[in-house]
Amino acid sequence: MRSPDVIAVRRTPLRPLLVKELRSIVNGRALWTMLLIMCPIVGFSFFQALSLYGEASASASDQAALASGLSPLDGILVPTFGAFYVTVTLLFPFVAIRALGREKETGTLRLLVQLPYRTPTLMMAKAAAVAGAWLIALIPAASALVLWRMLGGHLHAIETLNLLLGHLLYGLLIGAVALVAAAITESTATAAIVTLAITIGSWILDFALAGQPGLAEWVSRLSLTQTLRPFEQGLFSLGLVLGSLVAIVGFAELATLWLHPGVPLRARLVRSLACAAITSALVLLAAQVRTTIDVTEDRRNSFPAADQRALATLREPLIITVHLAPEDPRYVDLRRNVLSKLERVMPNVTIRLVANQSFIGRSGDYGEVEYSYAGRIDKSRSTSHREILPLLYGLAQVPLPTAVSGEDYSGYPLVANAALVLPWFFGVLPLLIALAWWSSRRAPSIPLPICQGGES
Amino acid sequence: MSVPAAMADSVVERASPLLRVAALTKRYGDQPALTAVSFDVHAGEVLGLIGPNGAGKTTLLEALAGLIPVEAGELMWCGAPTPIAERRGVMFYLPDGLRPWEDEIVQRVLTFFAAVHGRSQHEVADAVGSVGLAPVLRKRVHALSKGFARRLMLALALLTPQPLLLMDEPFDGFDLRQTRDVMGLIRRVALSGRTLVLAIHQLADAERVCDRFVLLADGAVRGAGTLDELRTQTRLAAASLEDVFLALT
Repeated sequence: MRSPDVIAVRRTPLRPLLVKELRSIVNGRALWTMLLIMCPIVGFSFFQALSLYGEASASASDQAALASGLSPLDGILVPTFGAFYVTVTLLFPFVAIRALGREKETGTLRLLVQLPYRTPTLMMAKAAAVAGAWLIALIPAASALVLWRMLGGHLHAIETLNLLLGHLLYGLLIGAVALVAAAITESTATAAIVTLAITIGSWILDFALAGQPGLAEWVSRLSLTQTLRPFEQGLFSLGLVLGSLVAIVGFAELATLWLHPGVPLRARLVRSLACAAITSALVLLAAQVRTTIDVTEDRRNSFPAADQRALATLREPLIITVHLAPEDPRYVDLRRNVLSKLERVMPNVTIRLVANQSFIGRSGDYGEVEYSYAGRIDKSRSTSHREILPLLYGLAQVPLPTAVSGEDYSGYPLVANAALVLPWFFGVLPLLIALAWWSSRRAPSIPLPICQGGES
Repeated sequence: MSVPAAMADSVVERASPLLRVAALTKRYGDQPALTAVSFDVHAGEVLGLIGPNGAGKTTLLEALAGLIPVEAGELMWCGAPTPIAERRGVMFYLPDGLRPWEDEIVQRVLTFFAAVHGRSQHEVADAVGSVGLAPVLRKRVHALSKGFARRLMLALALLTPQPLLLMDEPFDGFDLRQTRDVMGLIRRVALSGRTLVLAIHQLADAERVCDRFVLLADGAVRGAGTLDELRTQTRLAAASLEDVFLALT
């Protein structure tokens, strides 16, 4: 027998549900309050970034070497979006929780789940509304980018879009966690506490455990904040994007499992465990995808172009044995300056870290890095690519590549007049947001047939 | 339709109920809320679930709608088992005291429901006219009085297409005149072919609007049938529903 429910579900339009979900977020105070708080925070951060960038640009005006260090990504985008990140972390959960929490708290969820939509469809609409809310929340930061361009600043499209992608993934992660919290808990207040415990807990993981060896280092990678790091460094990491998307879908699925009040608790728990296990396995699988692209205009995450081309031709396995503790600053330097870049450019690189805390100071090998390529071995204590790359070319028995002129990044120094910035973020933009809020509160006109029916 | 023909139809309907509830059991921890509740609902009737506060009426309606899990029991829709996922296709439950999407404007809530269920503006207008919602269409739901909030819920129920409506305390919040109007509306809905199950704790109201009754006390069915059948069962000829209820519970 064909289920009447299935027939109804197939015919039900999605648009009214999407509009309703977005309106339920827009109707609340949380979104508008967050926007109003964001304006001065993002604005002041942008103003400060603009001032510091201007000062640095002024001193670099006649020195090309200094000017080449002036990148809008580091100088303007990352600080401005850093303020956006802080407000998203602390305030966006309240907006996202509203997408579900209010309906649950008031009992309206009992009507919603009776509508002819499948439960995953209901959750998908809520997730779409949360994504819409994130886009609205982007307005202050996006306006900073527009101001930067109006002031004559330079934006590199790909690195800007990459940074926005990172923030979108982070915002959706926060939103998905908030939806899970709202689905599992009975009140919006409890859901907010749970979500903030996770987001602020991520900061604690970052501060307390990052850079520590062993398990602590692995645990610190679970921090949501880690999602943003590569994007802020101008890297597009396919594994990270896939892993983040899997985690977002996993959290949304978890929220779906807890949405319908008619499912017994035991069934919810069993399905949640299965969902968590599958999501974790997929995230681990995504982490194995090593494809990472340097999208920065100044190619800071890559070796010079000639070296990149030469290293890409070295197809034999390169084994690097590092006699350093992971928390040693020399290892951090080596990792950032050489190892990460080698992993990205060479097809077959294995890095072995053989030192630990007890090793330090007791072995003469400590500090040495051994490079093995095509059966030949060499050692170095340097953390600079200028010493290590010639060593590798020697092992591979290939000539040193010739540097190509004209490929150097010249930088984008700019001393901008920031006079308009503070009035915009502290006056005009909040006023426009307040007007939009007021406009959203106005009752719509009622179609004539409804009026006539109502008055009959 | 002649009386004998109507009686014959009635016999057929009784033979195959629209909804059969069999041994529905629900517990909250150690506390039994519903104990093997069984009864039938027939097409086109107004069935009253009668009982005092705490008798299990709301729990029963939510269990029927699949909004709370139950320990045991089965629902048969037209003779076929109806799992939870399929119930929203055949029945719609109106909870008591709910202000749906309370930050939204009344008209938008109505048009949302209408759009979801494929109703036209004229059908929305009919629903608005039927329950007298016109004065508050531009108000937000949270600003409605209790009576208008109840009318909004009734209007939403009118916009749904499911053949069975489950309504929890549909007369709560209405004065005498409004209660009579709502009773008239409920009778018109039943005449249009829909079936209604109403949870009511006011026995006088129930007696005036319902065709049959299921008497609940302490989560168990104490009697079911028309008022005449219940009178026969209790051997209280010409007794009111209140007398019958007191005799059975």
